Formats: sequence, structure tokens, C-alpha cells
Amino acid sequence: MIEGAAWRRWVFYNIPLILFVFVLLFPFYWMIITTFRPDGELYLPWNAKNYQPFWTNNPTLEHIKYLFEETSFARWMLNTMFIALVSTVISLFCGVLAGYALARLNFPYAGSLGTVIFITYLVPQTLLFIPLAQIIRNFELGDTPWSLILTYPTFLIPFCTWLMMGYFKAIPKELEECARIDGASRWKAMLYIIIPVAVPGILSSGIIAFTLSWNEFIYALVFLSSPDQKTVPVGVTSELIRGDVFFWGPLMAGALLGSIPVAIVYSFFVEHYVSGLTGSVKG
Amino acid sequence: MAVTAVSGLEVRRPTPRLRRLEDERWLALALLMPTAILLGLFIAYPFFEGVLLSMTSQRVGVPGEFVGLQNFVKVWNDSIFRTTVWNTFWYTGVTTVFKLALGLWLAMLLNRHFKGKALIRAFILLPFIIPTVLSTFAWKWMFDPTFSVINWTLFQLGFISQRINWLGDPDLAMTSIIVVNIWRGVPFFAISLLAGLQTISPELNEAAAIDGARPWNRFWYVTWPLLLPVTMVVMLFSVIQTFADFQLVYVMTGGGPANATHLFATYAYQLGIGTGLLSEGAAISLAMFPFLFIIVVVQLIYIRRVETR
Amino acid sequence: MSKTKRRSVLKLAGGAAAASMGGMAGILASGRTPAYAQQKTVHWLKWVDFVPATDQMFNKEMMPAAEKALGIKIKLETVNGNDLQPRITSGIQSGAGPDLIMSFNSYTHLYANSVVDLSELAEDVGKREGGIYKYARAICSDGRMFMGMPWAVIGGMIAYRKSWFDEAGISKFPDTWESYRDAAKKLKAKGQPFGQTLGHTFGDAPGFTYPYLWSWGGKEVEADGKTVVLNTKETIESVKFMQGLWKDGMDEGGLAWDDTNNNRAFLSQTISATLNGASIYIETLRKPDQYKTAAGKPMNTDILHAPLPKGPAGQFGFHLLQSNMLMKYSKNQDAAKEFLKYLHTEANYRKFFESQKGFATPCTVKWESDKLWDVDPVMTPYKVAAKLGQAPGFAGPPNAKAQEGLSKYIITDMYAKAVQGMPAEDSVKWAESELKKIYSA
Repeated sequence: MIEGAAWRRWVFYNIPLILFVFVLLFPFYWMIITTFRPDGELYLPWNAKNYQPFWTNNPTLEHIKYLFEETSFARWMLNTMFIALVSTVISLFCGVLAGYALARLNFPYAGSLGTVIFITYLVPQTLLFIPLAQIIRNFELGDTPWSLILTYPTFLIPFCTWLMMGYFKAIPKELEECARIDGASRWKAMLYIIIPVAVPGILSSGIIAFTLSWNEFIYALVFLSSPDQKTVPVGVTSELIRGDVFFWGPLMAGALLGSIPVAIVYSFFVEHYVSGLTGSVKG
Repeated sequence: MAVTAVSGLEVRRPTPRLRRLEDERWLALALLMPTAILLGLFIAYPFFEGVLLSMTSQRVGVPGEFVGLQNFVKVWNDSIFRTTVWNTFWYTGVTTVFKLALGLWLAMLLNRHFKGKALIRAFILLPFIIPTVLSTFAWKWMFDPTFSVINWTLFQLGFISQRINWLGDPDLAMTSIIVVNIWRGVPFFAISLLAGLQTISPELNEAAAIDGARPWNRFWYVTWPLLLPVTMVVMLFSVIQTFADFQLVYVMTGGGPANATHLFATYAYQLGIGTGLLSEGAAISLAMFPFLFIIVVVQLIYIRRVETR
Repeated sequence: MSKTKRRSVLKLAGGAAAASMGGMAGILASGRTPAYAQQKTVHWLKWVDFVPATDQMFNKEMMPAAEKALGIKIKLETVNGNDLQPRITSGIQSGAGPDLIMSFNSYTHLYANSVVDLSELAEDVGKREGGIYKYARAICSDGRMFMGMPWAVIGGMIAYRKSWFDEAGISKFPDTWESYRDAAKKLKAKGQPFGQTLGHTFGDAPGFTYPYLWSWGGKEVEADGKTVVLNTKETIESVKFMQGLWKDGMDEGGLAWDDTNNNRAFLSQTISATLNGASIYIETLRKPDQYKTAAGKPMNTDILHAPLPKGPAGQFGFHLLQSNMLMKYSKNQDAAKEFLKYLHTEANYRKFFESQKGFATPCTVKWESDKLWDVDPVMTPYKVAAKLGQAPGFAGPPNAKAQEGLSKYIITDMYAKAVQGMPAEDSVKWAESELKKIYSA
């Protein structure tokens, strides 16, 4: 676009951008403010006088204390972290291998296999959760983290596979062939040459898989039941709605603290996340 | 294959061609095995179990018996189900249109150089990164019938004198979940489309400008067609996820008021897990599949056409 | 495929993590005590009590005492009442979960196939305590077995602000629907509407809609438990009246409310009357400094309770019955039974009863004459909740079909739809066809 007078820049670019950022980030601000606001200031009706919703002069830690003392929130964080990490590792493992196979190897039905993996996206978790619960029971995995660790890869692997396929395709064949000439077997070539070069791809898939695991809800809701097995989303939803008295303070505290790990991990890998996201969409 | 041809050096391989082919196939099999097992065990197997389950009269604790397509007939005659179908299509349609429009706009706003661009880009992805359930709670609190901060703001600005019943009025409840879904999805669209925009060489636009094309025409005839492939893929992902959405509605409204915001997934959950009518719940979940299939096939065909243009 | 073969396939496929975590590491990771541990654990799942003092008492005093007395570990888990049913389903489906689960109303009938018979304990306690109320017996037993051990009845009454009613010139709480509507209209005009939920929630919504329907003469089925007779003149009249009542006198946010919203609305003084358990009053007793009237006095001096008004066909109340089910999949059935027995000993049950301050009414006769009811006259109306309760499925028995109707919120939705604009005849017709589907299956 041709840049014109400063006012044009402001009206057409800066102000809309500021509005977007404001709307996108306001709910998080609201989470923060509610977490630190004492109960007395919290429950004022929308048209009450003397209501100052956007700031508090009496910040309190009582909601956070409540969260940690009255619920197993710390345990949920550990659970979710564990489940997310292991699922991510499993999915990366499978995704890297499968991506390589589909991108580099010639074998019959390679194309249709790729399509099959894509088709699994047509079977979302909300379609499978009822029969899957039964299968989980038959394997005696109910109410354990393994019910999630083994099922999360079903929606993480396809994504990792496509991403890795894109990265592998971009690596020139010559690299591999040089290794092969030097006597390495196909397997060794893959291990020592290709994978190190595909590390950015692996990081991208990893961070996206990690955030997707934290975001999963329905499997965790249906397969887990004991309070100390729950993940953060399920725990916050089911155990912070306590009776018919006030709970929004601890609830927002739970939401806030539950979001922080993901946000922190994400902040270290923003570039990889973005390139992974866009790579999957362009590839 | 290039390997044997290039240098003429001795390759330490017993029987060259045949062995390599087998090697490749065997290797491919080994590489794909873990994926195949996991996906087979936890997607294909439950899918077929689900189909079987939906054809029985099973409920929790009661094995039930084979009833053919009776559940589907029952569900089709269920007025709540029909409301659910309409809700899901409306929800998916409206949110996708807005996510695309707003995402595109945001992408264009970001498609230039300015200070703090990387930071802004990182921040605006937050709604998409943070677990849906947690951010939806923040919105639910913002929409609360008695304590809504949005109502407060509008009241202070003089726009309203009566409280807006965000979650209690059926139409407003649907609007509320649409708003939250759009809020969540715009960053995804924006970042993806931004990447797409960045692959479009600016010279194309400049050339068009020199030829006298106005901004809107420049967009429509130059930018948009080049953006189409990326757009279609993004929309495909988004549509599938939105159609099968569960978390957002479960937290915000639970499907209410009076079923006005029920989607396939939430209704299947309420019937299957809530009331324990497993086979009927499975039938409702499965009912998603034909719709998803059609939507995906249509979009794939469209993508193919766009790519081969 | 046999289970072991599946397991080995999983081990092959799952990659490093899954395969290596057998044995001790796996047990630690799963957080479950292995079967050979010395101590048995009993897992009791109950709702989050609307009286926080009770859960605190359980957690801090009774559970540790029970653990010592019975030599078992006890895991007490509380969840939102609306989540009990999904948990029961998940538990039965996955074959693992809490040993004892609290059930509401006729869940006992719905899950009869998956629970253990508790007649011995129930009859014992009944004999000891003057007999089990008919209401509790009808819900917890199907004549052959006790699917649940009756626990308590949560009475629902209308809590209202005495001073506001006085100011509006209403000295006694209205006892007919017409005068109720007039009162609501007057108060809504002053910005103090009545508040009621018509949302999908287990407590306040059915607690209002069912007795409301019965008081007009409407009912779901005949006494034979089969013929659906919802679509009658009486029902349609009740729906029409509700449409007017809602617009004239109710807080219209009520369509989105769950069981907690009316409490908060009342406590933040935006509504003047609402049907509820006694938790609003008890909360104001708990925090007298936080809840004050405009005149500066503690709100608990301004709250009174009254039963639902009379309709042309009488006065009714639907009070939530709570019982405990022992699940068949439980591996600790004996320990769980011992624990239940322990809970129901007079000394322990009394601890529960007194911490509730009248919020819960026991299911046996002898507690009705307990002196707790005289301590606070504001709470006295609740003592007859178990005696007078009537259950969904009227006039038929409160069985699985009745529970299904309740779980699907058919009656509540009938009113909700009408209030949102559907003509009364249509919403009644819809509700009747939904009920017919259930009762003809």
C-alpha cells in the first residue's frame, strides 16, 4: 500500500490494529484482574454505583491460596504437563518416521496412505469419545494418564506427519545421496543426516503438539474421574464450581495459572510455532 | 536412481536394485508401523465400534440388543436434534465468514514493517494458544447475567439502560458463543493468511497500481486469487474444528438456554454420558460424519481446482 | 484379541515411553495404589455441598476419624451436582471409579443394574430411626432391592426479603399464584423482581417447575405409569400463566441461570424472592458483615422462608432426594458398606445433620422432632420436606422413565420455550411427545 499522510496511516492501520490487539487481549486482562480482586469488590452488579471494574486497589492472594489449598490444582498441573510431554514425544516419534517415509520413500500406496492419514482428521474426538470410552475400559486404562497419552497422538500424529513431510520434501536429495555413497544405510542416513537438518520442523511440530495437548478436553473429561488424575481444563471446570456460592475468584485464578505454562513454553518457541502453523497450511 | 550412477564408486550393497527396493519397502513399513498401530487402534477401531454401538439399544449398565437404524430414526424425529443440526450449521457458517474477513483484515494490517511487529504477532496468537476451556471461562464471567463487565461498560457509555441478557436469551446466547469462537479463531486465520500474503511479491501489486487499478480491484484480481490456496486449507481446518466443537459451548452455556446453543458434540454428550443413553449418543456423534465428509470433499475439490488453475 | 495380546501389541507400537512404564514406575505414574497394598481405599463421590461447613466437617473431622475407626483409607471427592450423572456413566462405562456415588432422585432406578443391593443397611437404619419416609422408599427401592441408601432430602422453599415486601405493602407471603404474580409485578416495578431459573440444572429448575405443574392439576402420567397425560387444559393454563408471570415479575436472566445464580443475585440484592434450598440464608448467617441490607442491618434478619403458593389443584413441593449408591464395579464393596454403616450411626449422622442447620432433612421419621428445628424459626418450615415431597413421574412411580424425563429437562424446557415466545399449546404438545417417546420405549 502506498503510504500517504500520517493521519491515513493512523486511521487505516494503527487504530484498527490497536483495536484488534485490545479485543484479543482484554479477556486475559480480565482474568488477571479478577484473580487478584477481593470477593467484596467482585460481586457488584453491572449497574451498581461506585463500581470500578478495571482496577483494584486491594489486590489479594486469597483466591490463589484457595486454589492451591482446597483443590488438587498443583497435581493437575503436573498431570497435564506429564501427559502433554509424553504425548508430544510419542507423536513426534511417529510423525517424524511417518513423514520421512511418505516424503522420501517410494513404495506402493504412498499417496493413498497420506490421504488416509488426512482422513483421520474427519473423525474428530467428539465423534469417537463414546465408543472409545468402552475401549479404554477394555484395556483397563480408565482413570489413568495412559488413557490420554495413548489417545492424544491420534490427533497429533497427522499434524506432525504433514509438517514433517513438508520439511523433509524441502531437504535436497543430494544430502542423503552423499551419505549413501559414503556407505551409510538408508536408516543411518536418515538418522544422522536428515533428522538433524529437520530440527526446526521437529521443534515446530513439538510446540504445536504440546499446545494442542493442553487444549484437549473431551477425552480427559470422559476418561478421567479421580480428582488427582485430572488435567487442568477438566479440574478447573469440575471442581471450581462449588455449590451455590461464590467461586469466580478461584476459577479465574485457576484459568490464569493454567494458561501460564502454555504461554511460557510458547513464548520460547514463537517463531517455530508460527512457521509450523503456516508451513502446515501452505504445504 | 542417482546413487549408483553418479560416482561409479563401489557401493557396499550385496544385490543393488532389488535389495534397495525391498529395503525401501521394508523400511517404509517399519517407519509407518507405529503410526498405523496407534491410529488403527484408537481411531479406526472405535469408529467401527461406534457404528455398531449406534445400532444397538445399549445404555449405561444395560447391554441392549441390535436394533438396526432405529436410533437414527429416533434421533431424526427428535426436535432437539433438528435444532442441534441447525445450530451447528449456523454456528459454523457465521463464525467462518467472520473469522475469514477479520483474519484477512488483521493479516493485511500486519503485512508491513513496523516496530514491535514480532511482539504483536506473538501476543495476538494467545487466544488460540491458551486452552479453550480456560479462556472461555473468562468470557463467561464477562457475560455473566448479573455481573457482566460488558454490560457495565455499555451502561456507563449510555448505550443501554436495560441489562443485555447475553447467556439467557436464546439468540443472544448463540451470538455470544459465536463471538467467542471468532475471538479464538481470528489469530489462526490472521497468522496463516499473513504467511500467504508474504509470499505474494509486492511487485505484482505495484504493477497493477501503475496500470491504474484501484485498491479494491487490486485486491480482488491480484491478491485474492494468489491467497486462495492458503485460504482454502485454513478454512478446511477451521470448519472441521468448529463443526465438531464441544469445549466452548459446554463451558459457556451447556447447550442452553432450552437447547438454543446445542451442537452435535454437546448434545451427544448430554444424551450419552449425561443421561446414559450411550447408543443414542453414539448415533448423534456419528451423524456428524456424513456432513463433515461432504464439506471436506467439496473443499478438497475446490482446492484442487484452484491449484490447477 | 485377548487382553494380553493387546498389551503386547501396544508395547511394540507405543514407542519408548509406553513400553518402558510397567511395574513400579507404571504404578507410580498412574497414581493408583496397586492391588496388593495393605490398606483398602473407599472412594466416595458426593456433590459439593451447598453448605460449605458440612464438607469442611467431613474433610477435617469425620473422614480422618472414620479412617482410624475402620482401618481403611477414605477418598472423599466432591463435584458440582450437575456432574454427578456424567461421572456415574463414565464410571460404569470404564469399569473404574468411585465406590460410593451420591445419587439424586431416581438415578437409583436408572442405574439399578449397576449397583449393589443395600436393603440390609437401609432396613436396619429405618427400624432404628422410626421408619423410612414413603417418599424416600419409593425412590430408593423398587420393591425388591434398595438401589441406594437414603441420605437426605434437600427441601426447597422460597426465600424472600421481608422488608422489601413490607415496603411494597405485602405483609404475608402470597399463597396463591395470582397473588404471587401481583406481588412479583409490584416488586419488579421497583427494580426488585423475583428470580427463578429455567435452565438445565438439577436443583432449582425442576424444584420449581414440577410442583408448579402439579399445583395447576397437570401431571406427566396416570397412576398406571404408562399413559402420558401431559397435554391437558390444566397444563396449558399453567404454561400461559407462567408466560405472563415471567414477563411481569421475574428477572429475565433466569433462563441462563444455574443453581448458583439465584443465590448470587439474591445476595447481591438484585432479586427479592427465589425458590432455593436454605443455602442463601445459611450463607448470610455465615458472613453477617458481608451481607447487609440498605439500612445497615445483617441480611439474615431480613430473610424468611415460605412454601410455594397454592394452585387450583393444591400445594406441592419437589424436594431433591439424595442417596448413596454402591457401585457393582467396586473392588472394595465390604469396606464401602462398613463405611456407609459408620456414616449412618446416630452420632455421626447427627454431626452431618447439625452442620447442615436444617438445609438437609433426614429420610427417617425420628429426626423430624429433633430440637434442631426449634433453634431457628426461619428454618422450621424445612423440617417436613421429606414427609411431603412428591417425585417426578407423578402420578406414576418415580422410576427410571421418570428420571429420564427429569434428566432431559422436558418439563423445565416446556416452560422455558413458552417463556421465550412459543405458544403455550405448542410447547405442551412438544413436551408431551417427548414424554411419549420415553414412556413407550
